[in-house]
Amino acid sequence: MQDQKQNFSFSKYAWNQFKKNKIALVCLYLLFFLIFVAVFAPYIANERPLYAEYKGNKLYPAFADETRKDSIFNSNGSLDEILQYDITDWRILKYEKVIWPLIPYSPGTMDRYNRDYVSPKGKQRFKDSNGEIIDAPKKFRHILGTDGIGRDLAAGLIHGTRISLMVGIVAMGIASIIGIILGAFAGFFGDTKLKMPRIKYWLTLFGIFMGIFYGFGQRKYILAEGFGESVYSGVIQILISLIIVTTVVIIFRFCSKFIKFGSLQKETNIPVDNFVSRGIELLNSIPRLLLIITITAVVERSIWIVMIIIGLTSWTGIARFTRAEFLRIRSLEFVQASESLGFSSARTILKHALPNALAPVFVSIAFGIASAILIESGLSFLGIGVPDDIVTWGSLLNLGRQNLEAWWLIIYPGMAIFMTITIYNMIAEASRDALDPKLKS
Amino acid sequence: MLKYTFQRIIAFIPMLIAISLLSFIISINAPGDPVERLAKSSESEGGAQEQSGASKKIKAELRKKLGLDLPIFYVSISDLSTSDTLYKVQDKYHKSNLSALTHHSGNWQAVSNYYKNLLSFQRIHERINPKILKDQYTFLDLNEINEVVNQLGSEIGSLLETSDKNLIDLKFEKMNTLVSNNNYLSFLKDPLYELETNKNNLRINSTRWKTYIPTLHWYGKNNQYHLWLFGNGNDRKGLLRGDFGISYIDSQPIQDKIWQKVGISFALSLISIFLAYLISIPIGIYSAYRKDSKFDTGISLVLFILYSMPSFFVGTLLLLQFANPDNLAWFPVSGIQDPTLFDPEWSFWKKIEHRMPFLILPIITYTYGSFAFLSRIMRVGMVDVVSQDYIRTARAKGLGEKKVILKHALRNSLLPVITVFAAIFPMAIGGSIIIEVIFSIPGMGVEIYNSILNYDYPMIITVFTLSGFLTMVGYLVSDILYAVVDPRISYK
Repeated sequence: MQDQKQNFSFSKYAWNQFKKNKIALVCLYLLFFLIFVAVFAPYIANERPLYAEYKGNKLYPAFADETRKDSIFNSNGSLDEILQYDITDWRILKYEKVIWPLIPYSPGTMDRYNRDYVSPKGKQRFKDSNGEIIDAPKKFRHILGTDGIGRDLAAGLIHGTRISLMVGIVAMGIASIIGIILGAFAGFFGDTKLKMPRIKYWLTLFGIFMGIFYGFGQRKYILAEGFGESVYSGVIQILISLIIVTTVVIIFRFCSKFIKFGSLQKETNIPVDNFVSRGIELLNSIPRLLLIITITAVVERSIWIVMIIIGLTSWTGIARFTRAEFLRIRSLEFVQASESLGFSSARTILKHALPNALAPVFVSIAFGIASAILIESGLSFLGIGVPDDIVTWGSLLNLGRQNLEAWWLIIYPGMAIFMTITIYNMIAEASRDALDPKLKS
Repeated sequence: MLKYTFQRIIAFIPMLIAISLLSFIISINAPGDPVERLAKSSESEGGAQEQSGASKKIKAELRKKLGLDLPIFYVSISDLSTSDTLYKVQDKYHKSNLSALTHHSGNWQAVSNYYKNLLSFQRIHERINPKILKDQYTFLDLNEINEVVNQLGSEIGSLLETSDKNLIDLKFEKMNTLVSNNNYLSFLKDPLYELETNKNNLRINSTRWKTYIPTLHWYGKNNQYHLWLFGNGNDRKGLLRGDFGISYIDSQPIQDKIWQKVGISFALSLISIFLAYLISIPIGIYSAYRKDSKFDTGISLVLFILYSMPSFFVGTLLLLQFANPDNLAWFPVSGIQDPTLFDPEWSFWKKIEHRMPFLILPIITYTYGSFAFLSRIMRVGMVDVVSQDYIRTARAKGLGEKKVILKHALRNSLLPVITVFAAIFPMAIGGSIIIEVIFSIPGMGVEIYNSILNYDYPMIITVFTLSGFLTMVGYLVSDILYAVVDPRISYK
């Protein structure tokens, strides 16, 4: 009996519950499959072969850099031709031996012999290595058809998996960081529990103001430069700014210890919960799609910015769940024990409360991923925010809408979006049932 | 009850202020110069008279009308180096460049001298007449002179918008070589030298420490935000009195454009919400009534899957299937009426009859979006109510199942559904962008879509503000409805 109890863990129990839902289990495997496709997309659909023996040279074109150039020598040792990886038409070369990816096209490859919406089952043309136009051999057929400028749909779908997965990860990553932090503070401290001397409170507020002034106000040109260079360096600059803000706040809080006047040392309540709840209410009162569209109209078009905006606007659900969970947990014995032992609030929150609050939050993140993907595909369906040259499921579906005869451009991308959203929703619902049987509906 | 309503309205005001601030922040960060956009749309046939006196005057008037010569907000937080009169600079790009320059140098006086000098240098350059130069230096080619003068002009123009140290040096080097290599420009040597001294002063007299000291300026009521919100009493009435500004596309007042379009979106969302309620409430009741039966599990799964189906996919599929000559051409593809047949003189019913086939597919798509969601809410609410004690009591006292469900349970389970009703208001103004675009319905959704494609910021901001406002009104209404419907809820 003793042993059994020790072996019992909540995660094991939840996993066992989850496994009982067969549909959800299938969805989980499908999700792994999607992740696999997203990670290996360049090796599943690529216009360059994985491996080729060409005029006695062994090449790995799909794994090489796009700008690579190879000099090909013939048997006499003299220079025969220069293979420039990005402009070579790899399909018409005469190989001794070649291994093609599953789909021998890249999402951007414009096959000029199969322009104008070639249907998956219809006649497809192909230029063979002798320069003759023939019926496409089985390997080079566009199995899901093409769009108006001859881009392969299957390749677009496979690379679109990457984007939809990235949207889920980046947007919900941002949203969960904001949501969990704010929700935890609001729920744990409530309106009355966070007390500090008045002077410390004021100095903290002032410190936040000064921190933002030095971290962002004074560094705005550096930040703009960073983002002008690349998203990566921009993010680094933002991190530096955040470090500056934190440092300044800490310095000010530290200073408050040295100011000792009777009335200034009086304790005051800080209504954290009130602040956070009002913020959530405000953000909820603006239609989300409209907010995102309005912001994307002002900033430049980039898939990354779209992801960040989705993240910045969708943390409210997570914050609400975290808050509710913390409200429940803070009155439980183990939290009270940790407090009465004199542990700091930070330790209580991070080590004791948070791990116990994460399960329901996880559910809301999974639902959030589904809605983030929905929003992103809606935006690219409208052609807003996402640049035209990026192939996403939504933009493919939009091509289909503009030409209703190309049914394959409607069915396949639409199904891809629909399946992905269903998978996430299913997993979220099943894990909700597994994690908290009370919530089961 | 009255007191509660009053309290809610009071709590409503800070939120409105927050929304107005949010949309104002977005609007002042919109790229491009509004005056240029408006001038372009209003002159239309004017053509090439770009820098002429007349268009400059129009622009100055527009700037004044839009309040762009005012400070942005009641207060501004900046650093010690920045001047509190910077907002008076007319050109938007010059303004941002000047603040960048000030940030790098920290000495507003030096920056201001440099800027004024640059402007006067530009005026000197504008007075150069290549033809007169040609008369003086007869051996030169007119085209060549023209090209040199134009090059110089473009260098000056770009200097006005450059704050990067190295780029500025590069441009000065170029101007110096232009002036020294061409004898006929020798009269520019002195002004250019003066300009260069001023430029060097930026660095020599740099007081960067000033940028680290924050300062606060108070501008009072005469600012852009105040003007935008309250108007100035004359030509601008302000947002609160229903003046939303002028569209960049056709210079029409935004409120007129919205009034023309809002009807169709409102009608569509009203019909579809009504239909959605009509379908989803019985489904919800029945599956809760037969909880865990085959019907319930089946319909739950179907609803769940439908819920994950994006409405733009559904809409496109409907078009593909029912408005496509390859499959079934039952319905027209787009629009809400046939312009060749439609007659505005028709009676109301005749109009509806004519528009019916156009509207069926959009309404299905519209309804679809809320129907799956509503049914799920309805079912959960019903299941919750059915397990309550008073339902058990009702059954125990021998009431028929029908009566228990329809009389005792239904009314209480309707509560969560009320919340959704709040969404109707913003839906009317925002329209459903995606659905209206798919079916080309000339409502608010398409209007917003077009204004985004054409960067018509006043329109975007207006819709944003209004829908935020209406959502809050919706919340308010549904909160009050709650209190009316459910006597248990007592608000203190």
